[in-house]
Amino acid sequence: MLFELLTKRYPGMRVWLLQRVTAVYMAVYVPFVMGYLLINKPHSYVAWVELNSACWLKVLSSLFFLSLCLHAWVGVRDVFRDYVPNTMLRHGLQLIVEIGLIACLIWSVYIFCCF
Amino acid sequence: MSEHLKNHRPKNLNLFTIRLPINALVSILHRVSGMALFAMLPFLLLLMHSSLSSEDGFNLAINVLDFWLVKLVLIGLAWAFFHHFYAGLRHLAQDLHWMHGLNQARYSSKIIMGLVAVSVIYFAILIW
Repeated sequence: MLFELLTKRYPGMRVWLLQRVTAVYMAVYVPFVMGYLLINKPHSYVAWVELNSACWLKVLSSLFFLSLCLHAWVGVRDVFRDYVPNTMLRHGLQLIVEIGLIACLIWSVYIFCCF
Repeated sequence: MSEHLKNHRPKNLNLFTIRLPINALVSILHRVSGMALFAMLPFLLLLMHSSLSSEDGFNLAINVLDFWLVKLVLIGLAWAFFHHFYAGLRHLAQDLHWMHGLNQARYSSKIIMGLVAVSVIYFAILIW
């Protein structure tokens, strides 16, 4: 049943599920990192960099921003489909959002993996 | 459509005269908060970039966050986050057919609004 809904016959279902899966990942990541930050309060620059240099956290944070961008892509797309009836304008806005989200994704991975 | 219907269709485009039921309010605010979080994403990345790039950048980020106007924006952002978070969990629960009856939806909406208020006030006290 679930697998049938994920085939090409129902393209919207995959996007719908993508939004939910990324939501669940973020709903676990955010309270976890908030708690981690509250326990290991970084009081200086050195402590802050050291906290973010842990490899497992870099992977989790990069995955978080990947989830965030995919989630925002679906969400903004749904909002545009509801409120921007003009097709040309909607596609234009959607393209700007997509370019912006890809830029944010590359930027976030650069922040977490290059410092 | 007949001329008669065309001329006498009631139209109400003034959004301020429409009273939304609380579950509809939580739902539309979930969208509004989502768009707000999306719009603030580049600024948060900029802060993150600055704080990790160098010691000067770290101090700059702290000084920026200490400015009262920025703190007000942060409280607004905290509202958007907490609302999107709690209302999102509620929507996920409803996707699983849990708490999706009308009375349950109203009840959970009230709980969400309360949780958001408490969380935002706690956040505001914490940063001020």
